[in-house]
This record gives sequence, structure tokens and C-alpha cells, in this order.
Amino acid sequence: MVYTVVIVYDSHPALQGAFAEHQKSQERLESNGEVKVVQVRTKEDLDKCDALVIPGGESTTIALLARLSGLLDPLKEFIKAKPVWGTCAGAILLSKVVTGAKKGGQELLGGMSVTIARNGWGSQVESFEAPLEVPGLKNPEDPFSGVFIRAPVLLSLDQPPEYPPIQVIARLPENVVPHAIPSDATEPLETWFGINSNLEGGGEDPKRVVAIRQGRHLLTTFHPELTRDNRFHEYFVRECVIPGLLST
Amino acid sequence: MTSPASTPVPQGAGSASTPSVPPTRSVQRDGAASSSLGTFGVKSGLAQMLKGGVIMDVVNAEQARIAEEAGACAVMALERVPADIRATGGVARMSDPSMIKEIVEAVTIPVMAKVRIGHFVEAQILQAIGVDYIDESEVLTPADEEHHINKHNFKIPFVCGARNLGEALRRISEGAAFIRTKGEAGTGNVVEAVRHERAVQSEIRKASAMSEDELYAFAKEIQAPLHLLKETARLKRLPVVNFAAGGIATPADAALMMQLGCDGVFVGSGIFKSGDAAKRARAIVQAVTHYNNPKILAEVSENLGEAMVGLTIDDQLKGGHLASRGW
Repeated sequence: MVYTVVIVYDSHPALQGAFAEHQKSQERLESNGEVKVVQVRTKEDLDKCDALVIPGGESTTIALLARLSGLLDPLKEFIKAKPVWGTCAGAILLSKVVTGAKKGGQELLGGMSVTIARNGWGSQVESFEAPLEVPGLKNPEDPFSGVFIRAPVLLSLDQPPEYPPIQVIARLPENVVPHAIPSDATEPLETWFGINSNLEGGGEDPKRVVAIRQGRHLLTTFHPELTRDNRFHEYFVRECVIPGLLST
Repeated sequence: MTSPASTPVPQGAGSASTPSVPPTRSVQRDGAASSSLGTFGVKSGLAQMLKGGVIMDVVNAEQARIAEEAGACAVMALERVPADIRATGGVARMSDPSMIKEIVEAVTIPVMAKVRIGHFVEAQILQAIGVDYIDESEVLTPADEEHHINKHNFKIPFVCGARNLGEALRRISEGAAFIRTKGEAGTGNVVEAVRHERAVQSEIRKASAMSEDELYAFAKEIQAPLHLLKETARLKRLPVVNFAAGGIATPADAALMMQLGCDGVFVGSGIFKSGDAAKRARAIVQAVTHYNNPKILAEVSENLGEAMVGLTIDDQLKGGHLASRGW
């Protein structure tokens, strides 16, 4: 059986951004013969895919290129039917609501019931690396190196009935969070502090959440493709992609 | 079960993944020992996010907005585009911080700004105002004829120009996280960018076929640090992201540089010195994504209005040969 994982980078699926890095990470999983990776630039490319990875890059550029290539609607349809993983810019595109968007707003693909802030940490000098404890990965005792580059910040995790439950996959260590208050937020700080999560357990600070799963979609605000550690790619294929293929 | 996969991927932009050279220095964030700011990983990582994209020169917030709407993945804020620096002459310096800050405020995409070669105080100023990337650029008048900036000392990442592999690896050893061709800025003439990219690619191919003994000699010949040359030979590409710059004026120019192996494109004077800037900007963005699809390239090249006036690159070139600045 061939599972096609489409890695969307760049201005669409290989539109703009770090698509080649995802491809390489995913290809390391190919040795088991189950995953094939293609870059997506057109609808024809997308039609070959059973799953999609939307890479880091600039979400405004990726959305514009998707529209100019006639991919916007096919991508939205794809997200309704098949597993999609968004990293960084890709995470923004998968969100339902974005703050800090460019003037006039920006196009989103939607698919996950979350609100996200662009450049939530500030400019590039605030970009950082931090070790993450991720219980769902293989060898969970080894921390995963999270690379956060002008990363977005989750502001709220909503749980409307028509969406599958949200599962938090990874959080930032507590001592990192105080630095995570956006320095260039246009909203007053109270807005940032006053956010409530509707998650089970309540009281969770969504700003600490950096990876979530909702149904068969995965969202990470950091860049697993920039490390040599492919455990997140393995997780996506194992948890989000393969179960759906086996059931159809 | 099935064949493992490899769908052939076209050469050029973004088709090869870009490993980063190992962090040479990392800065610990005060009070939070478990995370680190300004590592080489996050510096080179931002360049990776720009791959397959177009970075446009802009001189004010209005142009920056046009660039963002056209799909630029970043903008370069400067007071005068290279074509004007050529025309007016004089010493070209870092732009006024207030003008750069206006552009930072106007857009959500990364903002870059230029400093003079060797002028580390201009770089300190840009870091302080929260620019995302610094271009230590030969387009401005050099401040130091011997030393480039020690870029390891900064949290902010740097891009530098190079004409050949040795120059590229010297800049990376100084801490550059991103390399571009120098080309000949402000001419609208792509010939020098092509020369520089072909030189880099040809030297990489040569190095990739060499034995270790030969790499020692080659490192000496091209005046490159041995460990970076070895890494380049192993990867068969530069160890950081590599963009084209200098003289790109049309979608076809941009796609040419991508097919020659660049990861993305800087366009300086080519956009806002042309007839219909917004349309040309968007066409070049599409050309960089679909660089290997002549049908789409033909579509986006139609009816773009007048391109910028091109200059012949010879001894009479007004403003001189900028590419020869830097060492």
C-alpha cells in the first residue's frame, strides 16, 4: 500500500518556505515503504495525496500563492477530508482565527478551532530554541528540541461541538513562558492575560501550548523539520495518517 | 507494499533541504536556562523559512505594503534603492532608524535592513530596533576595507553577498546565516548574478569530487575555512540558504536564478523602478514558485509594463562595480 504524504511548503504546498526540510524528514520514514512524499504546487499534485504537511514560511505568501495557483478551495476541501499538519506558518493557516495579521486581514484555510497570534514572541531576535517534553512521541524520555522562529502563539483553544476534541501534545517548560509575552502585541496586555481555555481540566494557559492534535489534524508552532529528530513526522504518520487509511 | 518513493524533485529553489552548520555560539537567555536565543539554529532557520520566496527592496511603508500584498516573503528597508544610489552617488549609509521602524510597523513579514561592510555599530543599532535580518551589503559604501563584521557577536542573523565559494564560506565562518550572490545591484542586468551563482555551484561540484587531501589544497586556493569546505563538499551545497541578488528585473530572470540552484531571490530596484510595481512583484513571486514550469512563467510574464532600464556592465558603469567591494 502506498500512502502519499503531501508536504506543502512554500506558497502552497511547495509554495514558499521550508518544504524541502519537511520532505527530507518525512523521507527518512520512507524506508518502511509506506510513505511517499511529493511537493505540492498545483491541484494535480494535491490530488495525489492522502495527507498534507503545510510548512513554515510566510503565511501571507503561502496563502497568496495558493490563491493564485487556484489551490485555495481545493486545500480547504482537502482539510475537511484528510489529515493535515501545519508547522508555524502552516499552523496559522490551519487556525480558525488569527490576530496580528497584515492590514486588511489574511486568508486562512481553517480546520482547527483555535485562535492564534502571528509573531507572538516578537521579532527575530526573540526567536529561540527550547527542549520540550512530549509524552506521545517515541522515546518520550528524550526531550524534543523545539525551534521557534518568529513563531505564532496560541491564544485560545475552543471546543465547539462540531469539532473533534483538542488534545494538547506539547507545552513549553514553565520557566520559558514569562518571556513569551509578545513584545509587539497590538492588543493591550490584559487581553493576552485574560484568555481562557475551554479545554477539559480548564485553567490551562494556551500560550504555553505549542503542539495540539484535533481529530486527524496536527498543529505545531515550532519547526520539527529543522532538527534531525523525525519523531514528530513519525507521530503524524502513525497517529493521524495511517489509521484513516486503514479504516477506508 | 511499495517502492520507497523518491519522486524526482527539480533542482533549484528549495528542492534540496538545507542543513545548518552546527551552532558556533549560542546566547543564553537571562533567567531561563532552558531556552536559548540567537542560536545559529534560529538564525539560519529563519532563512530556511524564506526559501522559495522573494525579498523586495522598499523605501517606505507604502511600498512595503505593496510588496507584502504581492506575496513578498520579506522586505529590505532602505532609503535609496541601488539604482538611485548609482545615479546620485556619494556615501551610502544605513537608513534612518525611524524610517525602518515605520516599515516594521507597516507589515507582518520579516524586515531586513542594510549596514555597511564592517560597520558593526550600524548593526548594533539595527539589532536594537528589532529588525529581523541584517544585510552586510556591498551596495552601501564600505566602512572597513579589511574586516567584515564579526557576526557571531549578534543575536540577529546576517545575510552577506558572495561572488564565489571561497567568499561565501569566509562570510559563513564570520557568522553569516544566509548567503546571496552579489550580482551587480541597480543595473537591471542579471549577468553578474549568473556569473556568481555559476561560480559557486561549479566550485561546489569540484569540491564534492575531491579526496580529503585535495580539499586541504583547495581550501588554501579559495581561502576558505577547511571545516566549512568539507561540510559543503559532503552536502553538495552551501551549508546555509543561498539566494540570488543583483540585477534581477523580470520573472524570467528570477526563474533563471532558481534553475541555476538558488533557494530564492532578492529583487532590488527591479520592482519599484518598473512601470507597474505591484503587478511585476506578484509575477516575480509566482515565477519563483513555479520556476520549473515554462507555461506558468509565460502567463505571469505577460503585460507587465515597462521593466526597469538596464545598464551595461563595463568600465563606464555609473556608480562603479559594487560587487568588487568586500573581501
